[in-house]
Amino acid sequence: MVEKGKSSLVLIGHGSTLNPDSSAPTFQHADEIRRRKLFAEVYCGFWKEEPSLREVLRMVESDDIYVVPNFISEGYFTETIIPRELELTGPVTLRSGKTIKYCEPVGNDPRMVDLLLHRARESAPDVPPDKASLLIVGHGTSLNQKSAEAAQHQVTGIRERRLYAEVSEAYMEEAPFIADWRKNTSQSHVVIVPFFIADGLHSYQDIPVLLGIESAPTAAASQKEVFRRNPFFLDGRELYYASAIGTDPLMADVILDTIERFDRKHPDDTAA
Amino acid sequence: MISDELARLIREGYNALGELEFTESPTGYRLYHWADRNSLSLAQVYRSAEDARQIAKYDAAGAYRALKGTPNLPRGWILELGNIKDLKRALDYFYPGAIATWLAYREGKARPVCLRETLNRQTGMYRVTRKLTGSQAQSLVKEFCRSDGRCLRTILWGIEPERPPDFHPSSKSDPAVDQTGQNRAALPFLCMEACNLLVAAARTGLKKSTR
Repeated sequence: MVEKGKSSLVLIGHGSTLNPDSSAPTFQHADEIRRRKLFAEVYCGFWKEEPSLREVLRMVESDDIYVVPNFISEGYFTETIIPRELELTGPVTLRSGKTIKYCEPVGNDPRMVDLLLHRARESAPDVPPDKASLLIVGHGTSLNQKSAEAAQHQVTGIRERRLYAEVSEAYMEEAPFIADWRKNTSQSHVVIVPFFIADGLHSYQDIPVLLGIESAPTAAASQKEVFRRNPFFLDGRELYYASAIGTDPLMADVILDTIERFDRKHPDDTAA
Repeated sequence: MISDELARLIREGYNALGELEFTESPTGYRLYHWADRNSLSLAQVYRSAEDARQIAKYDAAGAYRALKGTPNLPRGWILELGNIKDLKRALDYFYPGAIATWLAYREGKARPVCLRETLNRQTGMYRVTRKLTGSQAQSLVKEFCRSDGRCLRTILWGIEPERPPDFHPSSKSDPAVDQTGQNRAALPFLCMEACNLLVAAARTGLKKSTR
């Protein structure tokens, strides 16, 4: 990554008013990038936490600003909420002497397939992939088709590697539903990787209930002594439930790659 | 730079922001909860600005502090920071953007946004908040934003366009008033626009009233 000492980075996360771990990966990756001293400043801004999307750009002093959505897919947030709240006019916004560069969400990065496969292997190291179902679980929403399409794109990429006996997708809010995992997977070992940014409300508390490995939402991950104890034995099957993909330390590099991709795509606007 | 201006303000005598107090120290800057000012020798010492994030995350009972302006910061800690940039970063973890916002407002670079404009912009699950009436907004803000227990920010926005803030007590909209009631030389802690928590509370209230 080329040093961008005159530019600043603003990472945008969803955040949560209920779950203290939702913003953790965004802060974690910001800390790592700040540690590498590549940018003049690194800030995080959130939809549901502070600094809010309305406040965060005021904090930035550089005239050249990269905004990277720490979101898993394009969709309602990256297309409607973030541009509206940050008052962006397109990929490049010029305002009050500042250039604001709006990058793609991190989940678009081509190396997500490798990260998902690595996470799956890490969660179930003793399970032979050719005898396991790999289930990628995403949010999915009727508001915007792109959420599910992003997960489908990963599933297609993983299938092409021909490592797992079976690779499927499932969603919280659209079919195929997560709760139907029993009929949508066939192997006795089922490895489940959440295609989510954080071990927050959905990934850590809601989905385990939908899968049946918890009967009610547990406390937040950071407020429990043990993260999760795999495997879970359910209806004669062995379930391995991973941590959300967005918590992978390599996501800091994915964020930097996202910026490089922006620069390649918009060469005339990246002089700073 | 914002941090240079912060250093200047501290030399000028400002020593507080929200529930925090700060001072120059032999090794840099010291930051603590105002209620600990007479018992700092008992406080646990932290030395990284990033520690502020963890301190600010939970209240004394271990509950998640989703609204950073709530006057329920835990006590019993002290941050010893090496320089003004670290102090600024720590303050930004406790009260995100507070200093930048005040400086921008002072320089005329940030304007308050009325509640109606914020609500009329909402889409998706928050679109319903466009229906909030003026009187519903009055009582919501009075309860949800009150300084004694909910949020220490000073509200600069009104409910309707071109209308000044009109909330009770009137001190809630006076940047010169220390909302903790401590009457210290506090940096103004401004609210330029309703936060998402208030918008979400408006939605919850409207949903209840239509049930």
